[in-house]
Amino acid sequence: MVDLEKLKSIAKETVSRDDVKYLIGWRQGTYGFRVSPHFVEKPEEAEELIFSPLCTNNLASYLVLPEKLPLPRGVEPDSRKVALMVKGCDSRAVVQQIVEQGIKRDEIIVIGCPCEGVIDLEKVEERFPNQLESVTAQWSNGKIIFHLPEGNEEIPKEEVLATKCLTCRYPNPVLSDLMLGDEVETWGDEKYEDVKELEAKDPQERWSFWEEAFSSCVRCYSCRNVCPMCYCEDCILDRLNPTWINRSNNASENTAFHLARAFHLAGRCIECGECERVCPAGIPLTKLNRKLSKVVQENYEYIPGIDPESKPFQSSYRPEDQEDFIL
Amino acid sequence: MNNKPKIGVYVCHCGINIAKTVDVDAVAEFASHLPNVKVSREYSYMCSDPGQLLIKEDIKNEGLNRVVVASCSPRMHELTFRKTLAEAELNPYYLEMANIREQCSWVHEDREKATEKAKKLVAAAVYKARLLEPLQENEVGVEPATLIIGGGIAGIQAALDIANAGFKVYLVEKTPSVGGRMSQLDKTFPTLDCSACILTPKMVDVGSHPNIELLTYSEVEDISGYIGNFDIKVRKKARYVDMDKCTGCGICAEECRLTGRISSEYEVGMGNRAAIYLPFPQAVPAKYTIDPERCLFLTRGKCGKSPKCVDACAPGAIDFEQKDEIVEFKVGAIIVATGFDVFDASRKPEFGYNDYENVITSLELERLVAASGPTEGNIIIGKGRKGEKKKKKDRETFTPKEIAFISCVGSRDETVGNEYCSRVCCMYTAKLAHLLLEKIPDANVRVYYMDVRAFGKGFEEFYDRVRREGVRYIRGNPSEVFKRGDKLVIKAENTLTSTPIEDEVDLVVLAVGLEPRQDAREVIDLLRLSQSGDRFFMEAHPKLAPVDTATDGVFLAGCSQGPKDIPDTVAQAKGAASSALGPLSSGKVMIQAQIAHVDEATCRGCGFCVETCPYTAIELVTVNRVGHMVSVAKVNEALCKGCGACTAACLSGSIQQRSFMDEQILPQIAVLGGM
Repeated sequence: MVDLEKLKSIAKETVSRDDVKYLIGWRQGTYGFRVSPHFVEKPEEAEELIFSPLCTNNLASYLVLPEKLPLPRGVEPDSRKVALMVKGCDSRAVVQQIVEQGIKRDEIIVIGCPCEGVIDLEKVEERFPNQLESVTAQWSNGKIIFHLPEGNEEIPKEEVLATKCLTCRYPNPVLSDLMLGDEVETWGDEKYEDVKELEAKDPQERWSFWEEAFSSCVRCYSCRNVCPMCYCEDCILDRLNPTWINRSNNASENTAFHLARAFHLAGRCIECGECERVCPAGIPLTKLNRKLSKVVQENYEYIPGIDPESKPFQSSYRPEDQEDFIL
Repeated sequence: MNNKPKIGVYVCHCGINIAKTVDVDAVAEFASHLPNVKVSREYSYMCSDPGQLLIKEDIKNEGLNRVVVASCSPRMHELTFRKTLAEAELNPYYLEMANIREQCSWVHEDREKATEKAKKLVAAAVYKARLLEPLQENEVGVEPATLIIGGGIAGIQAALDIANAGFKVYLVEKTPSVGGRMSQLDKTFPTLDCSACILTPKMVDVGSHPNIELLTYSEVEDISGYIGNFDIKVRKKARYVDMDKCTGCGICAEECRLTGRISSEYEVGMGNRAAIYLPFPQAVPAKYTIDPERCLFLTRGKCGKSPKCVDACAPGAIDFEQKDEIVEFKVGAIIVATGFDVFDASRKPEFGYNDYENVITSLELERLVAASGPTEGNIIIGKGRKGEKKKKKDRETFTPKEIAFISCVGSRDETVGNEYCSRVCCMYTAKLAHLLLEKIPDANVRVYYMDVRAFGKGFEEFYDRVRREGVRYIRGNPSEVFKRGDKLVIKAENTLTSTPIEDEVDLVVLAVGLEPRQDAREVIDLLRLSQSGDRFFMEAHPKLAPVDTATDGVFLAGCSQGPKDIPDTVAQAKGAASSALGPLSSGKVMIQAQIAHVDEATCRGCGFCVETCPYTAIELVTVNRVGHMVSVAKVNEALCKGCGACTAACLSGSIQQRSFMDEQILPQIAVLGGM
């Protein structure tokens, strides 16, 4: 059970500090099961903060997204800290950002939120369609209680949790300055069953699967824009000289786009599932990223986003590393 | 690019190397229709003077500003043709090579398909050549000094050669004395020169040469920088003896409470020393050292009422307060001469080295045979098992009569991971066999061997001589050594007669091979050296750059690069010295032009390139980006070797290698992919 009063008092105290710019958390959205990111700059704004099974968004993306606009001469950049609420999976994104020097540890305050799993919006909306009023929810003994206008509904959490949560290994933040409540018991076990299922298919079948998936891509770049690990100043896939990916939307260019992104995320993806969640075309992007996670873990015993002191996978080398794939 | 590309394509026949599988005329004719190609020619040997003249004249007469040579690997002749361009006053980096020999004619048989492939390779080169940019080579000065790591015969020889040429040498040796393995040997094959007699004069020279700074009992801690400008940090370990005061009289060692109770490294366990010691009588410098791991005063803080060495030392040289000292200096070149380890015979348990006292290694026999050794050259061995503690007077000793050598112990043996031949064991076995017969004329000496490799000058003659003297060579690799009564039994098969053998002997000598040093890793980490398959340090090219490494200004000498005998070691040391003298005496070196550079505007400062760079050429620096302090990668141009690893690691393509930029390579790939 999340103590919202504690959350608010922590938040108020944090944003009152002189060295804190703002706190990023969640607040109830305007309709249905939607939740919005909430930027708390003043203590009174903390009243709206929530933490519930609806808080799916990975707020870590906001740490690295702010554009560094040109500053007039003589104006010092705002070097105040940013406070951030994180679930277990989100905290891994923060750790990986630290490993890759996207942010520095002392630039942030991490408020850890032990998480019992968040919902899959599609599953919930299917069960309770057309909710125009804002609906809140809470965890309760392995169930999720939805406070619908017509009354409370208790649903076993397995039925509505996001797929990534069912096998979650890190429900508790791996990095935090402050913890919101006690750690929860870990339930997940990662066996990459979904990846294995795909691996078992023959290459032709697999190709058809992905060809169909990528054909539906509209190249909106939402997957890239939401990804907490995609924060290059200038994405190589946007460049015209050289043109790695053509602008035209077709299966070939779309495939190149997604494969390039997957390779750029190898050993970096922390499996928060945001890319798949925001994809308007329903492309199973986590399967692609998880395949690479599996390869990296099996061959190099590397799991990204766990240890802020570790070296980035793509540039670390051990003499015993597998190299039998080199011709 | 200020001028429109005018490309000249030159297709080489390389005699029949290329022409026999590739229709060179057809390739040249094809190339003439490629975009921006002004002239396209074929010639029998492009690298010959007339071939190069062809290019030079076309540059002058046709106004070419790009050149594509379709011939062999750029590793062979890229420099040749760059020079050709420079001589015609064209920037040498306007050259692109298409490798139609190693990557085409030599590996294919079908003439038609090979010709098609050659056309594609040439077209790809032309498309890249259109986008080439002129590059400038930079020049850096050279610090007129050399660091030599390792004070064995290789390090000593290299140090003397460089010092005699008038340049400063810092010779760093881990142990308290220079001399290395050669100082442990008795005689040297095949001439039977006394090892010490030919080595010690050189050791003395090294110790007294005005240009050589000897840093014994020291280890290199850190190396940074690049050819011409290496920054070196050396730890001089505390000797606990004041080098200026010690006269080397040795009374301290006689007085030490632990005299004769510590196994001597120099005698490889065949003799003992005190806690304060000189490794061997001719050690250079002839200064004593206290073993901090054994000295009673240093380990327990107490040695009787007062340490006996302190009382004994008249000049008052003992100083227990001494601390390790860090010495820092700059050098222009580095020679790695760290030597080898002998194979640990206990890794072949079937030969009973750990179990039987009278199974010894060749290096141990070397000390037994040596007149300066613990038995003064008498071949006396004990009876019993290894590790048995017996008082000296109770020790039964005897002179062995039946003696067997087992060769290739730890060499040519996949079971211990050493596939290579150690190159010295055949000959030192013959030498030791000869010396044993000299000392024990009625001994029966036999050698169990796989093959005898007597390849050097005077080797075969010596091998014949030893056989004439009565040493029996039995072809067969023994399977086991075990004890029967007082005798050791060697179980083997004579593979020439297919007869099983059980041979009863008094002494078994294991001719142990050479291995890379256990601490080689430390040197690799310091210098980022590569290892070849045998785990020895890898030279830049096995034939044509045998003393160079992949890092400019770092050279190899002696057994750290691979097993070799003394003449080869000395020859390589001289080679390394003369290679180091090149940059030292010219005083300047040119640094690579095809290096990485960073687009600071797009770099996100993740540091992947920093971690990836094998030459520590990249660091993160803070720059002001329109008012924000951000960190971006910066390439040290002198350190960068243009390997391209960083460009592969960079996610945003912000680090690019000149002449191999994404926009230059992509059109090339597009052509190869079918256009």
